[in-house]
Amino acid sequence: MRQFASGFRSFAVTAGVAALASLFGPAAQAQQPVCSAWLIESSRFMNVPFGAFMPDRTFVPGSNKPESNIPSVDLPVNVGVIKCGSELILYDTGWKQQDYLKMTGSEHWAPLADQLKALGFNAADVTKVVIGHAHWDHAGQLSDLPNAVLYVQREELKAIEWALNYPEPHIRAINSDPGGCNRTPACGYMPLTMEEVYGKVLKGKAVILDGETEILPGVRIHPAYRAHTAGSQLLEVPTSIGKLVFGSDAFSSYEGIRDWMVANVQQTDSVQQFLAYEKCYKITGGYNNCVAAHEPLSYTDKYPLTKNSWVALNGGRMAEIALAPGEKSRKP
Amino acid sequence: MAGGRSLLLAGVVVALAATAGAAWLHEIRPGSQPALQTNTARTEKTALPALTADEERFATTLWTVHREATRSAVALSFAGISYQTEDRDPRAFARKIEPLAKFFHDAGMQVRAMSAPASLSSAQSQYVEAMALYAGAAAEMLKFTENGDAQRLQAAHELDLKASEYVLRVGEVLWPGQYKPH
Repeated sequence: MRQFASGFRSFAVTAGVAALASLFGPAAQAQQPVCSAWLIESSRFMNVPFGAFMPDRTFVPGSNKPESNIPSVDLPVNVGVIKCGSELILYDTGWKQQDYLKMTGSEHWAPLADQLKALGFNAADVTKVVIGHAHWDHAGQLSDLPNAVLYVQREELKAIEWALNYPEPHIRAINSDPGGCNRTPACGYMPLTMEEVYGKVLKGKAVILDGETEILPGVRIHPAYRAHTAGSQLLEVPTSIGKLVFGSDAFSSYEGIRDWMVANVQQTDSVQQFLAYEKCYKITGGYNNCVAAHEPLSYTDKYPLTKNSWVALNGGRMAEIALAPGEKSRKP
Repeated sequence: MAGGRSLLLAGVVVALAATAGAAWLHEIRPGSQPALQTNTARTEKTALPALTADEERFATTLWTVHREATRSAVALSFAGISYQTEDRDPRAFARKIEPLAKFFHDAGMQVRAMSAPASLSSAQSQYVEAMALYAGAAAEMLKFTENGDAQRLQAAHELDLKASEYVLRVGEVLWPGQYKPH
């Protein structure tokens, strides 16, 4: 009898908890902030040898294997646009193609302000800008976002300064070194970009972060140190299709995340890049909601997250990833 | 005679075959030509005019200055970032800026003294101007360390942005592949 009473009590407790969960669970979920997200192709680097981007995909002449029969790829430079209530956040900012920076082999660039306008946004309304890292092609155009607060990891800035002052020239190599500097820690940070970062600091519009930070409820920056550069950072965003994680060059390739291959290695510690992939799997439950910066399959069915796409300014593409309840589509 | 007829016949066959071959080639060419033209167009669009030997020599000489100028320009920005976000120590800030101010001053003189071919004289002038702007930015930062006037930092920032654009402008002519996709 006592055994029956105890069994009944535990059944009643379990049933009560289940009933409460069923009552308040959806309500609590509904109250969680949900953001809308779009992807903008800032520009496209054309005809990049596939092996230079992903060593595991190096072209082998005459090969029939799908992993080695593509000689070159066009790499989009993707910028994330995230709207959470009244907050407008950018993840990365692309770069500014001008007559003084033509970047041979790059096409489809359009000014970020114009691209935002095409989506129905105003550059002056961007409240936050999170850069995945401070390389010139991801942290350009900051001065065109006058009211945005910049979020950058202290580790990113420290590492550049450290490398610049390192006594051994192979380590402190910069973009004016003969033979290139791709694998060296100070490479990719052009003076104009760093001065734009300083401009944000000077105006009191920069937050220098030490690790993980929640910048809005549910919108969380995760450090991914050395997953591309020393202070790389990811951005977790809650949406109606689940959590997204924007990864900049830590997630250069969607196929890389899916097939567990490194991409855009340069200053990358490959183990840290895999750990960044793993973080996306953990947060989102798989690889489909990981937002890659340079995936050649972007804006096609083969990268499903970005398939709801269209061609916008100067041939650059855009995609509508997810809409919050009540948010209208911005697809033309 | 019979031999002559066979020879004539063989000649006709060869001529016909050659005509057919030429016609076939003519037919298949339009299909492949546009692709070829596209590639050529892309090459023409992306290829920059090669530098002459004199221009190449100037580019190589300037590179030795440019290398340190690039590093110093980034260091100038970082001195500002460190001051704002770390120590807020004007004397430490000045200690970082002083050698950079001297570098940009000397670099300007060094580049001015270089012998540039006439075709690159405007690039040379622009580089000299860039060094002067960086030196000016450093001077403004140093004035801030003396009087604490934050306007000086804003002025320095604007000079620095302009200098950085000028350097890129020269780089676009002399070292167009300097910045790769990152």
